[in-house]
Amino acid sequence: MTKEEILQQLNDIFRRVLNNKLTLTYDMSAKDVDGWDSMTNLMLIGEIEKHYDIHFKMREIVKLANVGELCDTILKKIA
Amino acid sequence: MSFYDCVIEPLQLSMTCHGERNAFFIQEQYSTYNELTAAVTRIRKTLHEVPEQYIALAAHDNLLTYASILAIWMEGKCYIPLHPLQPKQRCENIICQMGIETIIDSEEGAQYGNRRVICLQNLPIESEPMKPVTMCADDMPAYILFTSGSTGRPKGVPVTRHNLAAFVESVRRTGFILNENDRCLQMFDLTFDLSVQSFLLPALAGACTYTVSPKKIKYQAVFELLDEQKLTFTMMVPSVIHYLRPYMNELNLPELRLSLFAGEGLPADDLKAWSECATKAEIHNVYGPTENTIYCTDYCYRREGKNKQANGIISIGRVMPGTEAVIVDEDLVPLPTGRKGELCLAGEQLTPGYWHDEQKNNISFFNLDGKRFYRTGDICDIDLDGDINYYGRTDSQIKIQGFRIELSEIECVARRFFVDNTAVVAIAMEHPLHGLKIHLVVERTDDDNLRVALSEHLKQFLPTYMLPAEMNFIPVFPMNTSGKIDKQRISNIIKNI
Repeated sequence: MTKEEILQQLNDIFRRVLNNKLTLTYDMSAKDVDGWDSMTNLMLIGEIEKHYDIHFKMREIVKLANVGELCDTILKKIA
Repeated sequence: MSFYDCVIEPLQLSMTCHGERNAFFIQEQYSTYNELTAAVTRIRKTLHEVPEQYIALAAHDNLLTYASILAIWMEGKCYIPLHPLQPKQRCENIICQMGIETIIDSEEGAQYGNRRVICLQNLPIESEPMKPVTMCADDMPAYILFTSGSTGRPKGVPVTRHNLAAFVESVRRTGFILNENDRCLQMFDLTFDLSVQSFLLPALAGACTYTVSPKKIKYQAVFELLDEQKLTFTMMVPSVIHYLRPYMNELNLPELRLSLFAGEGLPADDLKAWSECATKAEIHNVYGPTENTIYCTDYCYRREGKNKQANGIISIGRVMPGTEAVIVDEDLVPLPTGRKGELCLAGEQLTPGYWHDEQKNNISFFNLDGKRFYRTGDICDIDLDGDINYYGRTDSQIKIQGFRIELSEIECVARRFFVDNTAVVAIAMEHPLHGLKIHLVVERTDDDNLRVALSEHLKQFLPTYMLPAEMNFIPVFPMNTSGKIDKQRISNIIKNI
């Protein structure tokens, strides 16, 4: 899978969880996205873990600066 | 004890004695007490020329904002925090209600009409010694916070210098004592009164305050600080440990020595899991409304044996020194021990009343045995030991991550969107994993354009934490037998959507 494909899949997950029509880009983080808060973040992580059958440590999550780094981490985990 | 004796003098002493030590850790950067003092001095010099008592403060996450609060107090003035991320209309409403003329802003860009704006970026650096403070009567407010109001207009709660001094004294007598080696968490927006204890108690002790950026996901930022900075003192809302539950196996916090919770019901099972991460910490659940200054009851968690709780929520414990509590029935008659009713509070920490709102004051405050009591709206009972258990609310107020939300305020704002009296109700529904979620239900058929327009309207007037997580449309609302909108049946309908 490529990074672009991951971004596309994340876009679907984000739209479903946040219930809006956003277009994710690599440089986005929580502060740029309406509705991405503590509660929805938990739901997003849950959905991403389920979709890729992976598990994140909180120590990994807190180091992710933006969506691009999230894509990279997912790529590494499913490799 | 006066505000000068309890707050101002110890603050000045702390700033002088601990000059080289770190006072703040904000956005990955340390600032010393000397740097804090220099900032306070230069802000005071400008403020000294300002005639007004009430100063609005744009509440940013930076050293200058905290320095402004101390400068305002040392100049005998009062601050009213404005949240930079909250809608402009809400801030404007607060500025108008208070008749504010002067605003301190440490960042550029915000527009405040014709008012005087003190832009801290442009102030010269002062290295003069600290000047004597401007004295001010203790019945003057130290800060005024605006909370959700059921009429769609935020209401102002003034907390006097006397109230705040009484809080500091009460905390000391309860035994929450910090020292200059403590590393302390400050996770609250400055528009929320738990922020005051989270920066003031460390500053009084010469300790270092670690702030959480409002731009980050809160519980993650708290995790990072706990894990990397080895914090020793924390005050958190219970939702933080609830969200951290799946990650507690990553947390080992032997340095944490005092861990407080406040702001919402503390679930016993989350607390047990937390106590296994914070193995050495003394853990307390404290409680109090903004109207009775930050917190005023305290329950100390027992690691061994049973803890008092009601419906899985830990007791809020006994009143702290200086506060009195009574449980009353609907006619404001005190109830005997063990009976459930509305918790009312009196004492040194009690606000003089809502800002210019006689009507609300007449409803919320009453006299009993010569003392003025505040009706908290919380349903509680008090047991034989004096410990208070919390059961729920008498009204439509809910709490999400510690923020007080009047569902009726959301309804008021939503109703203004419709010109044709369309009915709306705001309903809080418990989500099994994620806690309370606000639904806004509209008596209309579903319409995408309407959804977008209504949601834009709400964003103009309500802070993010009050925005409904979901919107539902029901063509005709069910009514109950007395002809009122049946909220219970509406919740059942949306549960099944």
